[in-house]
Amino acid sequence: MEIARKFKNTFSMVPMFGWLSGALAAVLVEYFLGYNYISLVLGLPKIPVLFGTLIMLKTPIMIPSVLAYDLIVYIIPVLTVAKLTAPATNKIAGSLEKIPIWLSTIIHLVLFYGIMHLWAGINDYRLLVLKLTMVSIILTISINVINGYQGEFSCSHPGFMAVGAYVASILTLVLFVNDKMFGQALLPAELGPWLFPFILIAGGAVAALSSLIVAIPSFRTRGDYLAIISLAFMFIVKSAIENMNFIGGARGMSSQPDYASLPVIFCWTILTIWIVHNFVTSIMGKALNAVRDDEAASESMTVKTKKTKIIAFMFGAFWAGVAGGLFAHILRFINPGTFSIQRLAEILAMVYFGGLNSIIGSIVGAVSISLLGEALRPLELFKWIIIPLILIFVMIYRPYGLISFKEINVKKLFRSKNK
Amino acid sequence: MRKIAFLLVVAVAFVMVFAFSGCGDRETVIKVGINAPLTGDIPKVGEGTKYAAQMWLEDIEKAGGLEVGGKKYKVELVIEDNESKSDSAVKANTKMITQDDVLVIVGPQSSAQAVPAGEVANNYKTTMISPWSTNPATTLDRPYVFRGCFLDPFQGPVVANFIIEEFGFTKAAVLYDVASDYPKGLAEVFKAAWEKKNGAGSIVAYESFTTKDTDFSSQLTKIKRSGAQVLFTPQYYNEVPLIVKQAKDLGWTGPIVGSDSWGSAETVELCGEPCYGQFFSSHYAAAGAKGATKEFIDRYNKAHGYIPDDVAALTWDALRLAQQAIENAGELTGKIETDRTAVRDALAKVKDFAGITGNMTFTEEGDPIKCAVIVKINDKGEYEFYKSVCP
Repeated sequence: MEIARKFKNTFSMVPMFGWLSGALAAVLVEYFLGYNYISLVLGLPKIPVLFGTLIMLKTPIMIPSVLAYDLIVYIIPVLTVAKLTAPATNKIAGSLEKIPIWLSTIIHLVLFYGIMHLWAGINDYRLLVLKLTMVSIILTISINVINGYQGEFSCSHPGFMAVGAYVASILTLVLFVNDKMFGQALLPAELGPWLFPFILIAGGAVAALSSLIVAIPSFRTRGDYLAIISLAFMFIVKSAIENMNFIGGARGMSSQPDYASLPVIFCWTILTIWIVHNFVTSIMGKALNAVRDDEAASESMTVKTKKTKIIAFMFGAFWAGVAGGLFAHILRFINPGTFSIQRLAEILAMVYFGGLNSIIGSIVGAVSISLLGEALRPLELFKWIIIPLILIFVMIYRPYGLISFKEINVKKLFRSKNK
Repeated sequence: MRKIAFLLVVAVAFVMVFAFSGCGDRETVIKVGINAPLTGDIPKVGEGTKYAAQMWLEDIEKAGGLEVGGKKYKVELVIEDNESKSDSAVKANTKMITQDDVLVIVGPQSSAQAVPAGEVANNYKTTMISPWSTNPATTLDRPYVFRGCFLDPFQGPVVANFIIEEFGFTKAAVLYDVASDYPKGLAEVFKAAWEKKNGAGSIVAYESFTTKDTDFSSQLTKIKRSGAQVLFTPQYYNEVPLIVKQAKDLGWTGPIVGSDSWGSAETVELCGEPCYGQFFSSHYAAAGAKGATKEFIDRYNKAHGYIPDDVAALTWDALRLAQQAIENAGELTGKIETDRTAVRDALAKVKDFAGITGNMTFTEEGDPIKCAVIVKINDKGEYEFYKSVCP
């Protein structure tokens, strides 16, 4: 306890900018020295991906080497650089406080992206895991709007995701790719990456419209009934796609162009966080929370409950559709089986693990469940015992998830710790 | 502060002492990746794949490694679970190629995973052999992707012709899962082949259901009323017993014919007597097998206590193919990109490979030309060789 307190004291004056510099130093160390020096000396076959968890579980004899690697490459550089540069970074953070908050945020984000780019650049597996994790973040935040802020229990998210994925895939295949399913491309392929955002928005919009199919009949009810209707919607979408042969049916669609690069997905993730944050802290968001807590009371306080609920539901579905579009262009193959009950279980686990009514919570939930799922991969069957067990414990000790009912405060996050 | 620094130093020292014990040069090891559904919907398929791969490794180790260009190399298996999910299969392939530096990948088995995973393998120019995937898209326009089995456009006509020659029937019924790509594709091919021989309208009932359905009585009643003489149902081991039993209960007396997906050891175990006497097309027949095939079956049976199904046999063949390709690749340079391409070129050149599921030669697309086997489930519940049909 004493050590933890001392540790906290020593590092409490490091600002966010300082931590980011430390992380940058760590990835630079890995980038320049990781393969040829550090991992070679430690007897590791390669730079360990995902902090060596995979190697540790597969060949336990490597555990000391992996721990040494993590210590040398990550822990020591981050801590020493963060600590040593604290006076300088506090000064920078202080001057960043004076410029507009959006500019300071962008500076921090660019730095953060740089770190991720270097980290993921070392290995394509890291890149793929990072991309899919970010898609999970978008999905989790979007379902948090419905299951958290709106207080419903909706199960149709994989359905919205499927709609978004299929609409976006059809559009890119029809417009930019010569393929067997839709024939010649209608537009030159160079335009593709530029029009890709609009395609994603179109996918999201169709998903939002399709959410009306659930919303209009079912918002007369709450709770369990909505859960059942939304679950039915998910199955309807899946069966409908399975029976549509012109888009591949059960066989799925493949050869989507490779538009979902890391910067693209990163921008969309930040955009989601920003827009959803603004949405839930707006008057509409407050109204939504009022509806969640007591529908009758908020109605009497002039909140238009039905409109609020439907807009929030469509909003959540929109981002699920966008996430689906990105997902389809990462994997470059989709089939209806992908958007089934297993996906639903994953999304729900992420949102309830991370925390309801909180964007940070959603990010934490999405990142930890995705990374756990990857890190425990060598355990095969036991993975499916360990992850649910962790979930059960979280539900017992923190029934609303790890970080619930907490909003991001960017100003506080980036401020100088010089006191 | 001092205490923290001290602790850090102790930790570093401690870790270093142990870590350096594993120090040494990076030697060239031949790594073979296995991408199998160890958990998820079809764990039995994953199990068969894993066991066959381990048996193969045993053989290699007994021989002291693989000999390439006059030098012996150690062989390692990298077995990854794809949870029978397509995104997980893609992740597993990416990990094996970029992190583990595998030379060849065997798997995934199901088409839903093999199609996207094949894209990854082809992009990274790594040879992948899917032993069991029958979807044409798996190997289409992908020079680095091969398969170990025949395709549905071949299997469908084989079954149709067999029924016509064997029984002389003219009216057939089909019952298939519309939500699963393999049964659906095969049902369509069978229908086309049957109608080509017997004229339009000779498929008198073309009924479907959805994955995880367990009650087929309404479809079977329709089929019975349609006056069909034979029922073709290209389903998996979890559905076949239900369909066959329910059909018998409804008074169906004609033969029920299936496809290679019946080949699992579980089919007969779950189905019992109603399945005796039925036919299906497959890659190999366990009962009455000879030579290398029998040797493989006996070894597998001894080690794991049951007769291997076609997935295990096809995986075995895929691994042996990979082995031959590596051996024929000439020399390993240690540069993984060059070696992978050398293995791919060697594999494409393999002619008349004698596998336990038949002789194989690859076409331009990476699909093998090989014979199909018609299997009869005999009175003891064994899969007995009945007839062989070659292209």
